[in-house]
This record gives sequence, C-alpha cells and structure tokens, in this order.
Amino acid sequence: MSHAESAAAYAEARQQVEQRWRTAFESSAIGIAMADFAGRFFAANSVFRNMLGYTESELYQLTYLDVTYEEDRNTNQELVGELVEGKRQHFEIEKRYCCKDGTLVWVRNNVSCVPGMGGVAPFWFAVVEDITQRKKDESARRYAEEKYRLVVETASDAVISLDETSTILLANPGTTRIFGYDQAELIGKPLTILMPEFLRKMHEVGFKRYLATGQRHINWQGTELVGLRKNGQEFPVEISFGELTNDEHRVFTGFIRDISERKQAQRAIQNAQAELARVSRLTTMGELAASIAHEVNQPLTAVNNNSNACLRLLANQNLQPDVLRRALEEIVADGTRASAIITRIRGFIKKAPAEKNRLDVNQVIGEVLVMMGHGFEENRILLQSELAQALPPVLGDRVQLQQVLLNLIMNGIEAMTAVTNRPRALSVQSRIDESGDVLIAVRDSGTGLGSESDSVFTPFFTTKTNGMGMGLPISRSLIEGHGGRLWSSPNSPHGAIFSFTLPAAAGSPP
Amino acid sequence: MTQAPVVFVVDDDPSVRSSLKFLMSSVGLQVESFDSADGLLKRKLPDAPSCLVLDVRLRGLSGLDFQRELAARNCHMPIIFITGHGDIPMSVRAMKAGAVEFLTKPFRDQDLLDAVRIALEKDGERREREKEVSGLKERYDSLTPREQEVISMVVSGMLNKQIADQLGTAENTVKVHRSRAMEKMHAKSVADLVKMVEKLKSSVEP
Repeated sequence: MSHAESAAAYAEARQQVEQRWRTAFESSAIGIAMADFAGRFFAANSVFRNMLGYTESELYQLTYLDVTYEEDRNTNQELVGELVEGKRQHFEIEKRYCCKDGTLVWVRNNVSCVPGMGGVAPFWFAVVEDITQRKKDESARRYAEEKYRLVVETASDAVISLDETSTILLANPGTTRIFGYDQAELIGKPLTILMPEFLRKMHEVGFKRYLATGQRHINWQGTELVGLRKNGQEFPVEISFGELTNDEHRVFTGFIRDISERKQAQRAIQNAQAELARVSRLTTMGELAASIAHEVNQPLTAVNNNSNACLRLLANQNLQPDVLRRALEEIVADGTRASAIITRIRGFIKKAPAEKNRLDVNQVIGEVLVMMGHGFEENRILLQSELAQALPPVLGDRVQLQQVLLNLIMNGIEAMTAVTNRPRALSVQSRIDESGDVLIAVRDSGTGLGSESDSVFTPFFTTKTNGMGMGLPISRSLIEGHGGRLWSSPNSPHGAIFSFTLPAAAGSPP
Repeated sequence: MTQAPVVFVVDDDPSVRSSLKFLMSSVGLQVESFDSADGLLKRKLPDAPSCLVLDVRLRGLSGLDFQRELAARNCHMPIIFITGHGDIPMSVRAMKAGAVEFLTKPFRDQDLLDAVRIALEKDGERREREKEVSGLKERYDSLTPREQEVISMVVSGMLNKQIADQLGTAENTVKVHRSRAMEKMHAKSVADLVKMVEKLKSSVEP
C-alpha cells in the first residue's frame, strides 16, 4: 500500500471514528456539554440544548455561569476552582439551570477536565442528567414526611417506634413530656424502661411470642396498661400499636396516652356511686329498723299498760275478775301481735325472692368488671377476659349472679396480693360446656388452694385474716339455686380456677 | 262548780288506746279516748281541768299539726305526746310548742301518770287564773268610762288633785268616781286595785 493510499485510508478511518463519536455525542440520551476554561460553551448535544431551549449558536454565546441558577453559582464556581487547582479530577453537582424561557431545570452534572493534547486546549466536559422529576418526587415525599413528623412532634401522646428486639428507635417530644426521659435517654433502650417491673416479663414474653407466632397477648388498639415515669411514678396509660415491615425489618410504632386524669374522673364517679349505694342501703336499713321499732312498740306499750293497770288495781284490792280477764285477753292478743310482726319482718328480710330473667352472661360479667373498676389497677392485676360470642341466654337473678362473680373475682385478687415474682393475672372466661350449659371460669395466678380445695365451700372456713368464711358457701348455694354447679380446680402453673355453670334458658337455640 | 278532771287520749292503735284508758282508770282518772284528732275536735270540751295524751303519728292530721290546730282554736289544754319513733327533732318541736312531756313507747306507767298529774294541775291553775281574770274583767267592764279613766290614773300613782287638774274637774268629783270604782271592783285598798289592774293587763297582753 502506497503512502498516499495508506494516508487516504487513515484519513477515511479517522473520519469514520470521528463520525461515530459525533453521532454518539449527538444522539446520546443524556445531555453532554463542553466549555472552554473561560466557561464558554463550544459544544453541546441536542439533549442538552433542548433541555435549556437554546439553539447551538445562542448557546455558544454563553458561559456555564450564565445558565446556572443564581443560588447555585457559588457552589458550582468553587467546585470548578478545585478542578483548576488540580484538587480533584471531576465533580458532581446537583443544580438548577435557567432555561431560555425562564423556567428552572434540576440537573445532576458530572464535570471533568479534559486535558489538552496535540494542540487542543484543555476543556470542561459535563454529562448532564435532568433530575427535575426526581426532585419533585423527593420534595413531595419530604413534604409528606414533614407532615407526619409534625403530627408526631406535636402529638400530646407519646409516639414511640421499636425494632424487632423491642428497642426504642424513635421517641417524640410527647414521650419526654409524659415519661420525663429526654429523647437521647430513650433511643437504643428497651421499651420495658417505660413499664413497671410487673409488666416487663410479660411484655418480653408476649413480644417474642408475637414475633414467632403472630399471636398477640394484648389487644393492640386502646389497651389500658400501667406506665412508669423516670421519677418512678406509675400511671395509667392507654396504648395503640401498629406494625410496619420495611426491607425485611419490622418496625412497631405505638401511641401511648396518659389517662391519669380520665381515670381520676372515673374513680370520682365510681366513689360517688359507691357512696350513694352505701347511703341508700343505710337509709333503707335505718328506715326498716325504725319501722320495726314502731310496729313492735305498739303492742308492747299496750301489754305494759294493761299489766300495770292490773297491778295497781290489785294493790288497791280493787281488781274485779272480769276486768282482769279482759286485761289478760288483751295482753295475750298484743303478745301474739308482736310476735306476728317479728315473723313477718324476718320473712321479708330473708325471702327477698330471686328474680329470674333471661340474662346475657357476658353482659353480667361486663357489669361486674365495671363495678370492680380500679380494683384491678390498684392491685396491679392484669385482667384478661375471654368471652365466647353468641352464648345462649340463661335464666337468672342479675344481682345474685353479680354477687357470685364479684365474690370469685375478689377472692382471686386477694389470692394474688402476696405474689411478687410473676404477673398477677386474672382471667374471666365464658363459654358453652360439653353439656350445653354456659360455663363461667375465674382464674388467678395466686397462691392456689393446695390441700384446702375441699374446705373452701364449708361455711365459716376461711384462709383470710378478716374473712367471714361465708362467700363461697353462699355463692355455691346461689348458683345451685339457679340449677348450676360451682367448683374449684387448680390453675396451671399457679393459682386456682373457680368455675360455675348455668343452664341455658329454655327455648334458646342449642 | 267545776267538774272532775278529764284525760283525753288520741291514738289510732286500738289496743294502745284501750290500754291507756284502762291504766288511767285504774288510778281513778276519768278518760275519754278517740281514734283521731277530728273525734276530739267535734266534742264540746268540758268545764273541767283536762289534758291530752296524743300519739305523734296519726292518720290524717298528725299529732304536731293537731297541737297547732288546738292552739289556733284558743284551746290551751296541756298535751303529753307519746310516740313509737322518739326522734329528737320531733320532740324538740313538740316541747317548743308547749307540750308537757314527750314519752317514747313503751314508757314506764309511772312516767305517764306523773305527766298526766302535772298536766291536770297546770290546767287547773290555768283555769283558776282564767276564772279570776274573767271576774275582774266583768267588774272592770261595769265601770263608767270616767271611772275607768280615774282608776288608770290612780294606779299610775297620781294624787286626786293632779287627776282633777288633768281632767279639768273638781277634786271632790274625782274622789266620788274613785270610791265608786273601788267599790265596784271589790278593791279593799289602792294596792289591791293595782294588783287587779296588773292581772287584767297581763291577760290581755300575754
């Protein structure tokens, strides 16, 4: 091949390479621009030109600073300066361009310095990506996040996020206000720091069980528990928790509300009601006593008067037999009358006949739990109720059944007062048993009955220092009066179960 | 001449009522009993010392209402209350309204009989006083207006001359009025007259 031939071939090859580069440059999906060291553009592809809305000739009149948004110029200039000083080979910048029509475009530029060679002066080479849409999305997301953050920050409730180990990831200012810990004191700590001792073990066990089985040990919405402030004070809280799974991680976020005031108000109402009930009972008893006194005093007065009159006449030796007979007849009549009054009153007190109505057992249980009110909290009892739905109604006396339930629950609570090394759990359960009767069970985690399990139903037997020993015998006779049974059995691993059955009311579906 | 004293009993319980009557009869008292306040109010009260044994709780008019009713009718018979419910506020009200005694059933017979005796004595004295005052009033009413005028001045301690000056008449005329008035009032002395006028005044303004 001749020199001329090879030169021509070389020139052709060169042209081909250049053409390929130019085409690549021009048809690139990403913007590319070049500027001399004075910053003036001398080449830009169509993506870049279209992005800014300038023609080639217009663009080559401008420097990169001319089209850079005012606020971004300084940063851009500094980075370029570092390139000039050789501190870096290239830089990346997110900035805004001012388009020809005045609109702004967010871009991410990758700028490098192309060293001069073969008579070509060095120049800036920028790869420009339009990130306007991404910026918009980001800003929208940031706005949404800000909105939620604001809600969380200003919430009066404590908002706490936990990871899978129940470690606190986040706590809002409400948490500080309620619990007294700074955010920094809480982050990275276990949630149990905010619970009294008696709830900690239960939380740990329950949380692990939930992670393993998905089975919740408490209701996650509006459950009332006890919180512990930094100063050691315990107070009632209402909690609601939600779960979020993110990149295989599970995050739990909870709202904890301080309900001390609400509880206090409830307590005041309950106290007032209890006081009212007590006063009205006393009044009734007082009235009863007064009316007994009046009723009995009448014949007693007559007996005394008649007898005294006879004695006086006798003393004067002036008592005629027929007068005496009439007086004695009246005395006997009045004595009989007095004893009839007493018999009537005794019957009135004793009989108070049971009023049997169709009752929803779950409703009766609910009423009793309301009556117990803060008895559970005060004794640090964790109450669980497992009430079967769609129970058949029973025929019963509401007040008597309430008395039985109250008695069993109070016994359960008292049996747990000495328990300090495990949760004090009391559960009230209702269900249908094998024979179709309604079964109610009260379980405690107390000291249990041991060898005394048979004696507890014996009248005047008691394990309590100030007990009468009549609660269970009376309860049993009340339940038997309803055609049911009441018995005890040991609870596992601790405590006792008292169960009673009530026959389903006739005519209810099996 | 006054009749024998009478004890009235008002109680709605028949056996209490009859036993009270029997008890008081046994010590020789004359007793009349009623099952309601109305029964007693309908009866014309005797011209004799009397008292009332009254149950606080009555059907219809209560014992305390009845006490007020009697006072309103200007009947000042002493009252002994008896009650099956001795409550203090009730007894205070009764005693304030002038009851002689407030006894809670069943009471000691002697307590009742003592109360009845005291009540009858009080009523006897009251009747004596009333009788005396009504005699005085009768005599006083028989005086001429001028005689009444003169003795009210005499009682206030004025001399005959002063009275004559004030009435614009002669001293002798005053002397005549004065001696006639003393005579009509059956007053033996000025001191006697003063006592009589005092009694009259106190019965008008109790």
